[in-house]
Amino acid sequence: MAAKLGSAPVTYSPNLGQKTRPPIFKDNDLDWVRPDGRGFHQCRPAFFRTGAVNSASGSAYAELGSTKVIVSVFGPRESKKAMMYSDTGRLNCNVSYTTFATPVRGQGSDHKEFSSMLHKALEGAIMLETFPKTTVDVFALVLESGGSDLPVVISCASLALADAGIMMYDLVAAVSVSCLGKNLVIDPVLEEESYQDGSLMLTCMPSRYEVTQLTFTGEWSTPDINEAMQLCLDACNKLGKVMRTCLKEAASASQE
Amino acid sequence: MGLPNASGDLSTEVEVDAFRCLFPLRFYKKHLLESIRPDARPLGRARETTIALGAVASANGSALAKIGSTTMLAAVKMEVMTPSLETPDEGCIAIDFHMPPICSPIVRPGRPAEAAPVVAKQLSDTILRHANLNAKSAICYLIFVWIQSLSSSSPLYLLMIIDVVNWVLKQLVMCNYSSGMINLKELSLVSGKAAWMAYLDIYCLDADGALFDTALLSAVAAFSHLEIPVVSLNDDGKIVLSEEQGLSDRVPVNKEKRKINLSSIPFSLTCVLHKNYILADPTAEEESIMDTIVTVVLDSSSQLVSLHKPGGTVLAYTSAIQDCIALTRQRVKELQKILEEAISGMEVD
Repeated sequence: MAAKLGSAPVTYSPNLGQKTRPPIFKDNDLDWVRPDGRGFHQCRPAFFRTGAVNSASGSAYAELGSTKVIVSVFGPRESKKAMMYSDTGRLNCNVSYTTFATPVRGQGSDHKEFSSMLHKALEGAIMLETFPKTTVDVFALVLESGGSDLPVVISCASLALADAGIMMYDLVAAVSVSCLGKNLVIDPVLEEESYQDGSLMLTCMPSRYEVTQLTFTGEWSTPDINEAMQLCLDACNKLGKVMRTCLKEAASASQE
Repeated sequence: MGLPNASGDLSTEVEVDAFRCLFPLRFYKKHLLESIRPDARPLGRARETTIALGAVASANGSALAKIGSTTMLAAVKMEVMTPSLETPDEGCIAIDFHMPPICSPIVRPGRPAEAAPVVAKQLSDTILRHANLNAKSAICYLIFVWIQSLSSSSPLYLLMIIDVVNWVLKQLVMCNYSSGMINLKELSLVSGKAAWMAYLDIYCLDADGALFDTALLSAVAAFSHLEIPVVSLNDDGKIVLSEEQGLSDRVPVNKEKRKINLSSIPFSLTCVLHKNYILADPTAEEESIMDTIVTVVLDSSSQLVSLHKPGGTVLAYTSAIQDCIALTRQRVKELQKILEEAISGMEVD
């Protein structure tokens, strides 16, 4: 609180130095290596664990590279008083960042657009009619942002919902692809995201082979789109398996 | 659970869990009579405690502390500021405590938790010891007024006394800053030009009682994990990281100041008072049922830093307070050991 005694001093981070823009991607420049040494079509190893927060009805922790996310699910519980009557359940999502999540302090505390994207990605997978008149709250906190934050939040949230015993058609897995010049890189890290030309995020229910959300930004050519979507679908399938194993492990551990 | 079946009241007919929800106080009373708690702890024992250092790579120092299922993530990020004119060779620490909606069903987005500002104030009081500063400046002021009233007669005498007062003030200010956990002078980079501002942010990830204890432990652990980056002054008079800017030929400003010395580390224990019972390290359930809490903070040499009893229905006798302090003294030893183990575990890696 010392800072608040006087007028709060203006501070700056010492590592704000201009980042040199990375290699310009010439045609078919495939010699270029990703910052963490992965192949272009290789995802980061995914780690999931359910039951991270005891006071929540369900929760999950996800870690992909340096992206670390916690999601808690509360409910189904009474909807807000001001809400109209509804014979299907409601889903309420909120995504926030810790002040130290981003390289520059306090860049994103409340992410309105992420919250609504999360809502839309999950909505189609949840059987809302199974909890009429009530609300399920999905709260996500990004502990450390290391790139592809939203896809990680979405996958983690669907695990947390499963942990809370909310009825769903299937788990929701999400993966993003960045377009860098002529190259497509899957599951981009923060650095790659900062100089991408376009990005695509696909969230799907792997075992039903249904897409719940698909977003494009930036510059894309049609063949690239096709390739990127196929890449995402394959990756979602694999991610879905990892998530399923995590749930199975938790279930068998609780039986013992 | 240790419910006696002999008593022929309602409790035998109702399932244990339902009984716990409907008659929480009676449920606890039956446990307390047996000197045991529902989670099988004796009254004076704290829950299992773990510390993991370096939980977040995007901060300069971070730690995750867990007491039972209460989880706190603390991280320190160092930024550069221009020190104020009054204290040109001192840095600053800004402490923030957050309870995001993930941590508890009570907290909703957009509506901050009631407990958060209370814990935040306690934390900054404990870590920065502002109470100390205030008391001493009050003493200074009193001395000043007293001397002024004495010396209205001779101007020469007055000058001499002002010298003495200045000296006393200096001494007081000096001893002030050496008594806190962190010497703010250590955060200075270039006197009058640049100093560190340490942003300490503590996030509650799971709230299950004893919030302040866990928050303080994580804060202390984050500071002991903190590694200050090597920086140097660039041509624009700004402080930048030495490696990044290719200024390796320049002499770094803080070559030998990479770790912060923590003198007298504070540790705390919260106890719940209920009738004559003292329950150490309460869970959220225990805190809500028995509303009188006492928080004792001792430093590593068992000196009292703060004692907090925010009202409550139980009026504590001196003996109860003394018992709380004795329990805290034991707990400080445990916590010290856990912190040392966490630190030495980091060094091996």
